[in-house]
Order: sequence, then C-alpha cells, then structure tokens
Amino acid sequence: MPIKPDFLFGKPFDEFPDVTEWDVIVLGAGPNGLIAAAYLAKAGAKVCLVERRYEIGGGLATDEVLFPGYYSNNHAIYHMMVDYMPVMQDFDIGKYGFQWIKPNPQTAAVFNDGQALVLSHMVEDTKDSITKFSFKDAVTYGRLMRSWKKIVAEILGPATYLPPMLPIEITMAMQKTKTGQEMLELVEESALDIINNNFENDRVKATLLYNCCIWGLDPRETGVGMFVALYSDRMTNKCYCMGGSHKFAAALAREILSNGGIIIDACEATKITMEGGRVSGIETTEGRILKAKTIMSTLDPHTTFLDLLGKENMPGDLTEAIEGWKYDKWSYFTVHVATKEAPRYNCDDPWANDAFMNLVGVEGTDQLLAHWDNVIAGKIDPNNFAGHATCESLLDPHLVHSPYGGHVSFFQMHAPYDIEGGWDKMGPELEAAILEKWQKAAPNMTRDNIIRTTHETPVGIERRFPNMRKGGIKHGDYKPIQLGCFRPNQECSSSATPIPGLYTCGASNYPGGAVLGGPGYIGANKVAEDMGLTKWWKPTRRMEQYVETYLDSPLGGLG
Amino acid sequence: MAKEEQFDFVIVGGGPNGVALASYLGKCGASVCVLEERTEAGGSVDNVEPFPGVRLTPHAMYMYSGPAPGFEQLELWKYGFRMDWSPMSENIMSQKDAGVKVSDGIASISEKDMMGWAKISGVSTEKPYIKELLRSIFWTPPHPAEVEITPDNIPYMQVYKQHDPSIWTEELLDMTMFDLMDEYLETEPFKVMQAAVAWYSGAAGHWEGVAIPALGCDITLTLYSGLSVPRGGMHDYFHAIIRSAIANGVIIRTCCPVDEIIVENGVAKGVRLRDTATTDENTIWAKKAVISAVDVRQTFVDLIGPSHVGASLLRKVKDISLKGGSIWVSHLITKEPLRPREKFKTASMSEPGEVGGPFPCDHRDIYYEHVADVDGRKGIPSVPPERLMWLATQSKRFSDAESQCTVPGWYLESPYYVLVPPPEYEQDDPITLKNEDFRGVRPNTVDAQKEEINAYMRKAFSLVLENLDDDLIMHLANTPYESEFRNTGLIGGTWCGTRHCDDQWGENRPVPELARYRTPIDGLYLCNQTSCHPGGLALMAVPYNLMHILIEDGLVEPGDWWYASPWYIPESGKIPANKNGR
Ligand SMILES: Cc1cc2nc3c(=O)[nH]c(=O)nc-3n(C[C@H](O)[C@H](O)[C@H](O)COP(=O)(O)OP(=O)(O)OC[C@H]3O[C@@H](n4cnc5c(N)ncnc54)[C@H](O)[C@@H]3O)c2cc1C
Ligand SMILES: Cc1cc2nc3c(=O)[nH]c(=O)nc-3n(C[C@H](O)[C@H](O)[C@H](O)COP(=O)(O)OP(=O)(O)OC[C@H]3O[C@@H](n4cnc5c(N)ncnc54)[C@H](O)[C@@H]3O)c2cc1C
Repeated sequence: MPIKPDFLFGKPFDEFPDVTEWDVIVLGAGPNGLIAAAYLAKAGAKVCLVERRYEIGGGLATDEVLFPGYYSNNHAIYHMMVDYMPVMQDFDIGKYGFQWIKPNPQTAAVFNDGQALVLSHMVEDTKDSITKFSFKDAVTYGRLMRSWKKIVAEILGPATYLPPMLPIEITMAMQKTKTGQEMLELVEESALDIINNNFENDRVKATLLYNCCIWGLDPRETGVGMFVALYSDRMTNKCYCMGGSHKFAAALAREILSNGGIIIDACEATKITMEGGRVSGIETTEGRILKAKTIMSTLDPHTTFLDLLGKENMPGDLTEAIEGWKYDKWSYFTVHVATKEAPRYNCDDPWANDAFMNLVGVEGTDQLLAHWDNVIAGKIDPNNFAGHATCESLLDPHLVHSPYGGHVSFFQMHAPYDIEGGWDKMGPELEAAILEKWQKAAPNMTRDNIIRTTHETPVGIERRFPNMRKGGIKHGDYKPIQLGCFRPNQECSSSATPIPGLYTCGASNYPGGAVLGGPGYIGANKVAEDMGLTKWWKPTRRMEQYVETYLDSPLGGLG
Repeated sequence: MAKEEQFDFVIVGGGPNGVALASYLGKCGASVCVLEERTEAGGSVDNVEPFPGVRLTPHAMYMYSGPAPGFEQLELWKYGFRMDWSPMSENIMSQKDAGVKVSDGIASISEKDMMGWAKISGVSTEKPYIKELLRSIFWTPPHPAEVEITPDNIPYMQVYKQHDPSIWTEELLDMTMFDLMDEYLETEPFKVMQAAVAWYSGAAGHWEGVAIPALGCDITLTLYSGLSVPRGGMHDYFHAIIRSAIANGVIIRTCCPVDEIIVENGVAKGVRLRDTATTDENTIWAKKAVISAVDVRQTFVDLIGPSHVGASLLRKVKDISLKGGSIWVSHLITKEPLRPREKFKTASMSEPGEVGGPFPCDHRDIYYEHVADVDGRKGIPSVPPERLMWLATQSKRFSDAESQCTVPGWYLESPYYVLVPPPEYEQDDPITLKNEDFRGVRPNTVDAQKEEINAYMRKAFSLVLENLDDDLIMHLANTPYESEFRNTGLIGGTWCGTRHCDDQWGENRPVPELARYRTPIDGLYLCNQTSCHPGGLALMAVPYNLMHILIEDGLVEPGDWWYASPWYIPESGKIPANKNGR
C-alpha cells in the first residue's frame, strides 16, 4: 500500500483509492490501449486505462526534446492507416480540434549529385518525377500502383482490422478474385526481388525499397511480399496530425473519459494477479491494487507474460513460445534539431522541399543493402548510411514556442540496439556524421543555422518506453513466423490468450506495429464479444466488402 | 463545412484555472468549450522529458493547493489523483531539525520560533484551523464593491477572531510579514527563510498590508501539502482536473489560439480563432458567457481591443505591475548526486538530494538586496552570487518508484528557482505581438548571456553544494524570456503575471473595477492568475471564487455538491451563491 503520513492537521483531500474494481483494465496508453479502451468504455464497460509514464500516448508522443520551446514528434509521425482506421468513422474526434493533413509530395529522395525523386500521393505526379530517371520505370510504377492500391483497398487495408487467418485459409480466400490472386503472387517474393524484377533504374529501385523496408521488413525475406504493395501504397498516403501526434492520443483519451472510462498515469503495472485460474487484477509500483476479471495488455510479450504474469501461471508451451519471441532487428537513431531556417535541399526539383519526408543517403540498392547489413551486424559506417528527415514545423506552426523562433526537424535512421562501441560514444559521433551528411544535401544546415540539437538512441527509446524492448518500435521483429496469425503466436494472435481473462492487443499482436490501430480494435471486438457487451459500432464499408467477398462466413460476429 | 457552433460557455485558455472552471461548469450541466493555444493544455503546470528518463518540471513544482474545495467538489480522487507523500510531510519538527542555511553553515531554530510559527499558522490550537485560515485567504471571492472592507469582515481576520483571538489585532492589516514574525518568532535566519519562501510563492515578506496573505503563501507550502509531490508531478494533478472536466462533458481543443473576443453592443458573444487553429470553423459562439482564462493584458489589449474597452481602463490594465516574479529555472544533471558541504549537514539533511532552499538566510539585508535587484530594475542580475537567494527542490521529495531521473549514471536536481529582474526586450512588448510574429524576435541581452548567467547561478548553488562543478554533466535552464514564449500567459516572464501586493490583492486585483471577475463587457468574465484574486499558483482558487459570481449572475446552478465560501458576501440584487445553505 502507498505510504500515507500521519496527517498532522487533518487529511487534506481524498486520493485515488488503494484498491479499486473494474470490468476491464487496459495496460499501456499507446495508440492500441487508447483505442481498445475507447471502444469498450463507450460500450458501457467500466474501464481503467493504466499508463506507466506521466503522460499518455505511448508512441503517440510529442515531446519538448529540444527544451525549452521546441516540440518534436519523437516517435510516430507518419500515420499510414488514417484512410482505413475504423476509429476515424466511429468517433467524432474532429470536435476536439483534431485534424490530419496529407501533403501531396510525400517522400523525396535527394541524391548526392542533386537529383531528386519525389514520390507523391498522386500517382501521376510520382510518374512525372520517375520519368526523369526512366520512362519505363514510370510506366511500370503507374501500372503496379493500380494493382497494389486495389490489393490494399480490397484486402490488406480492411484485413488490418479483422482477426488473422491461417496461411492456408488466406490462400483459399484469395483464389476468389483476380486481386486476391495478384496478392498471392506477390507473397512468395522478397521485397528486393519484386523491386528488382520490375524496375530498371537503381535510384528508383533504392527509393522504393527504402519505402518498403522502413518499418523493418527484411528486404531479402520471402513470404511477406504483400508488404511491398501495402507500404508502396501506404507510404504515399502518410498523414500528419496537426499539433503533433500526441493530439491523436489526447482525442482518444477524451473519448474514453467522456464515456465514463478512467485513465491513470504515472502508474506502472508490476504484476498481473490470478485467482481461481483467471486473472484477477494488477498491482502497481506504488502498491495500489486494481481488480478486474478482464485485462488487456498492449505491452510486449516478455513484459506481459514473463514479468507481469509469471511463468508459474503459464502453460509450458506458451512459456516456450514467449521466450522464443524475437525483438526488432533494428531500431532508430534520431537527431532532432532546432534551426533558424528550415532545411533547403539543393536539388533539381524544388518540390523536394515541400515533401513530408526526405531521404538522404539513399543512393542505390547495393549501397542501401550494405548499410542495412551493417545495422544488422551491429555497426553503422559513418561513410555509408541512409535515413529520412522531416521538417515538422513547415507542416505545423504549433511546434515552435521559443523566442528564437525558427524550425524543428529531425533525421532518423535505422540503427542497432547493441552498437559496436556503445551508444554513449557512438551517439555523439553519429550525430556529427548525420549533421555533416545533412548539410551536404541541404547546404543551409550549417552550424550557424542550428540553434540546438539532441539525439535519441535505441537505448533511449527503451528508456522512455521499456516495453519497446531493444528499442523495438513494434515490440518485436517482422518475420514470417512472427506475422499474421503467428503474431505473437498462434494462441494469442486474435487477442484472447490461453490465460482466462487475459488479452493481448499491442504492437506485438496481429497486424503489428506502427499506428495502425489494428491490435487495439481487434482486441476491443474480442473482449466485447466475450463480455457480452453490445457493440455500438459497425465495421467499415471496406471491411464489410472484404468479408463478403473473401470469407465464407461473417467473421467473429463483427457487424 | 462552416457550421455554427454554440456552447453555453467558451473559455479562452486551457491553463489550470480555465480548465478547473470548465470542470465546475460542466458539473453544473452547462455545455463548455475550452480553447487552448498550445499543443497541450496545462498552462504553466507542465512536465517535459527532454532526454529519455529525465523528467523536468519547467514551471510549477510545488503543491500549494491542498486546502482547495476543488478536490472534493470536482472529485479529483476519481480521476487518478494521487500523492507521493514524502516523509517530510509527516512532521513539522523535522523542519526544526533541519535548521536554516546561512552563509557559514546551519543556524538552529529555537523552540520559540516553532511555537510562534505554529501559533500564527493555526496549528497550535487543540483543533488546528490552518485549513480554514488558508481557505479564508485564497478560497473566498473578494467582497462586493458596495461592502465596506473592515477588519471584521476580512475573511482571515474572522478566522483568527474565531479560533485564536489572541492573534487578532487591527494592526495585522498594516503589517508586513516581517513585522508579524518579529512579534512571534525570534531567530533572524528563520524569519528570513519564511519571508523568502513567501516572496517566491506570492505575496512577499516585506510588502505592507499583506502579512497574512504572505504567511498563507508560505505555510500552504511548508506546512500543508507542499512538501510532497503529486504522483507524476504537478502536471498529473492537472491531469486529474482536466479529466474531471472531460468527464463532466467539457470539450477541450488545443492548437486553437483565440484571436478575438467578439463583442457586440457591449456584450461578449463568442470568439474568433486565429487561422492556424486546427478546426474547420473559426468562430465559436457563447450563449451565456465568454471566460478569459488568459492574462489580463492580452484579454483587454489584444483580444478585445480599444474599440470595446475605454481608454482609461485600457491604460489601467497596461499599468498593472508585473514585478516580482521572473524566475530563472535551472535543472542540473550530474555524474554524482549533489552533496551538501560539510558545514551544511544536519541530522535531517546530510544525504545527497536533501539540499533544499532557500539560501542564504543570514539576515534580512540579503533578502532586501536581492529584492531590490529583482524588483528595482530591469536587466540582468547584479547581486554577488553569495548574496543571491535561491530556492531548490530536493530530489528526495520524489519517491524511488517515481524518481525524476532513471538514466544510469545521471542524477537530476530540478528545479532550482532564482528570482531575477524582468527581462528587457528589444522590441515592443512582445505580448502585443501575435504568435506569427514571434519568429525572428531578437533574443534580448539576458538570453544572449544565458550561459554566463547559468555559471553565475552555479557559483551561488556551489556555496552549499560540494561537487556541482566537478560532477556537472549539463545545466539546462528556462529563462523568464523562454518561459514567456512557451506560455504567453507568463507576461514579463513572471510566474504569477501580476504581483500580489496590497494594491493588487483581494478587492484590488487586478484593478478594483475588475476585482469580482466581472468586466465592463456583459457576458465576459475573468479567470486567470493575472486578473483575479488570489492570483498565481495552481490552487483551483480562481475558478472556485468565480463560481460564486457566475451563480450570482444566474448563469449556473450547481447541485448539492456545491458549497460556497463561509466568508463570502453576496452582492445585493443578485442570486446568493450560498442560497442552498451551503
Ligand atoms: C522512434 C520511433 C519512430 C516511430 N515512427 C513511427 C511512425 O512514423 N509511424 C508509425 O505508424 N509508427 C511509428 N513508430 C512505431 C509506433 O510508435 C509503435 O509501433 C506504436 O506506438 C505501438 O503502439 P502500442 O499502443 O502497441 O504500444 P506503445 O505505443 O508502445 O504504448 C505502450 C504504452 O505502455 C506503457 N507501459 C509500458 N510498460 C508499462 C507497465 N508496466 N504498466 C503500464 N504501462 C506500461 C508505455 O509507457 C506506453 O505508453 C515509431 C516508433 C519509434 C520508437
Ligand atoms: C517558473 C514557474 C514556477 C512556478 N511554480 C509554481 C509552483 O511551484 N506551484 C504552483 O502552484 N504554481 C507555480 N507556478 C504558477 C502556476 O503555474 C500558475 O499560477 C498557473 O499556471 C496559472 O494558471 P492560469 O490558468 O491562470 O494561467 P496559465 O497557466 O498561464 O494558462 C493560460 C493558458 O492560456 C493559453 N493561452 C494564452 N493565450 C491564448 C490565446 N490567445 N488563445 C488560447 N489560449 C491562450 C496559454 O497557452 C496557457 O495554457 C509557477 C509558474 C512558473 C512560471
């Protein structure tokens, strides 16, 4: 129990009770926890969302890392699934002063000789830019994107919000349409194969490959080729949340609260307790007890099962599966800068300066693969690395609150958690290397222009969010045995687990990491069904179409 | 797209005062919209984590608000409000053991000091009345203009008369806090320490006629809730407030700077947002009232403007004194915990992380010298470092389960507060500049010398701390100038916006015409630290007090959960705010 003093002059006020009881406890207030809690609170469950940090949001963080006066989106900034997320239709979050924008110039690679390739939201704009490199590639891009967009719109987009299926079930379902068959053809190939087989210009190839693998897809891995369609489409549909990603978290939190849910932060769960073979609640660092017969964890598998639940409460095969969980093969290293002027890239296409994301250091496929191979081997070659940069304040005037004015930007790159030499030494060295490379691409990024810098290493990511183990931005690697119905394992991937009353629904669950909202939504559906709550929401139109077209029976009572 | 939006109340500014009021109004069943300019609500009650595992409090750190009725009325406990109680809160005598830091070591505190202090603070009677005393000082609206203020109706005078008549004398009203202490205490350093705490917390120890308000500012920190920290820091206390507001149906919008309060025929009708606002509709109408929870100058000078405010009032608003509250806030990251020098160790302060303030408390001359430097001029601090009075937050206040710094090998002491002269601006008063114009404002001389001043501050801190220079990794600071730009409400970089001297206290705050939260514009009320009694600190006092006025004007009718201040006097011809007998 928490310490209470002898109140000398009478107890000043009441505090949150030491022991409370809830219908549902949700662990972790990242995007998934917030979404799960929002659906269930509105369905009438007595929900308590428990967050370790002093602020909700998890990966939806907008922090003053360039203190004082400059705010940065130090975790998720590129929101790829806004067009599909059921949350957008189910909640009227616009009423909280909430807005997305989707810039047309989405990703611009700036090459070392000043050439630029701009991938836009509008395919014809992208084709215009690719034509500069290869007319043939431009035509191919247009043709492939028509097919890939369909695959995403009809299948991958809606399936993000439905429980996973076995590979064999997918194969059968996909036979039903031409789009499905096209997807199956993709699956077998690796990202590198797909891109190599279709495109000829190496700069075009490298740019598209970066786009596909940015979230941790292994370029040489086969069996996951559908991600090429998914990311090629979604990475040209990135949205930005005005005021910073944290505003998305705040809007969801407001839905929870206005529907009677409770959020407590600065409250770390230390134990999931069991009673009569079912979960019974949690204990927190400060010694409070929160009881509930249903617990949804959005934390990574090791935290949920090994640290909080304990092996003694798990069947042996589950323990084995959890212990075998592989964390992300790479994390991120990010340099944040406040500058007087926004970076201006010296390149042959001024549109590159309006792009949401700039690629710097991506020159060709071999060079890019060599960089990634280094990262996987625990190294970064200061003479050969690549990353992406965004000047946030060009999109969003709300991030700068300093008398010096100016802009905030960041440069982010893949980086190993265990780096040769250690991060204490490599952090500053890499920051210097990045600033040098950045200045080559954007000559005004001089020392003189820079007001302040800071960097966040993979170790730092884990320190801010211990559930992002090894700096893992998606709580665990993407590889075929950790994807689809195997994420995190076959028993838990639809959210229910073998432990009665325990559900998992964070980035380590199907469909995975990033701000997809999939795990949280699927978890909320499952819990609502198991608790017998009336679902006040309907699947999106696209989900309904997908279910009708591909599945024999309406799935899991959705609808 | 352009849909007309209407709420009963539109509140400009999402600081602790605006949001707590919103919660009160929502609880009464009104529809309420709060518009906040920054990406997050909370005003100067915020937390930041600039480096992973390092949590700083750039502004409000201490929990002064313990006696607030708001805890009960808004049911903050429901919304996750918790304290991390520090052992220091437990025993007033531990403060005696700690002694007082003076230049050459620790001065001891006498039995008479403790007795006297306990007496005037209302904790020595059989039934302590400190809570009533504090509520009478802060949680009571000023009396109506028609009521003559007498020693008998001033709320805290009533409390003394009732609970300890031996303290009551009309002279209390003309005293400074030093005068009061000279009567009840004996040790000079102890008095200087209390005066300094009061100066840093609101009404200063040497201001005439505010002896008891100054004492209140001091003891709500040192004797009531202030020695402990809310779990998650003051921002999490704010979380409980904002969450209660949302649960009460309030709509809160951030990134929505208000550009104009729309006034038609002398009546406030709504607000217009700046075009950077993240909404589709930039005009929001108020059916009952617009409440300005942003600073008083911006309210009248920018948001309303001369076409609706008479020249005389406008001038009075511009003349409100901002002195006395610009704070240079330091955050010290070190390789080893900061240790007190040998001569400062006492039984209860020998460990690293136990060094608090204020220092140096030798004699009131030091206090006066620093005061003159801060309030007597603009520019950069000029007292020698050994005579700079600073206030530090002990990291020991934070429980191990909620420590401020979790980076292995790093230690954080934060915040260290130092009052400094108001910064000088090269351009026009920046509060009259619009947000867009912030860009490109030249840093003033203070900021150009930030590093130099940080070093000067460290010299002062090092008089007590043994290893600051040797073990320093990083000295982060938010200067008053930077604080002001983070939060436009901190006019002049001051933490309270408007000083709490007798001329700007109670019935005089911020100027007599505006003292009861009403304005010459019908349907426009004030709810900000700069514009309302009792002023600065995140007390939930301004909103509680304003509630009395909104009830008087028939705008809201709270349920049984409401109780008015026992010392409140209704204005004649209005609906009394205590009519339900509570
Ligand atoms: C540097 C970086 C950049 C990224 N960029 C993008 C991007 O641009 N676009 C994108 O879509 N995705 C991005 N991601 C990934 C994305 O942020 C995550 O995949 C996503 O946030 C996962 O959501 P979640 O809700 O499952 O978990 P999280 O966001 O990790 O939230 C889990 C929450 O649980 C809390 N917690 C941890 N332990 C406990 C405990 N014991 N008790 C209670 N609470 C606990 C944590 O504090 C955290 O708030 C990025 C991630 C990183 C690190
Ligand atoms: C350095 C420092 C230390 C402090 N220490 C303490 C302490 O230890 N304990 C304590 O209790 N208090 C402390 N305070 C004081 C306390 O933080 C303030 O008294 C309190 O925040 C005042 O609340 P408010 O709501 O009146 O105003 P503010 O907190 O200033 O809120 C006003 C809000 O309005 C917004 N705003 C401004 N203009 C507009 C516009 N045009 N449109 C929309 N929104 C706008 C601002 O962004 C801000 O969020 C400290 C303050 C500072 C600066």
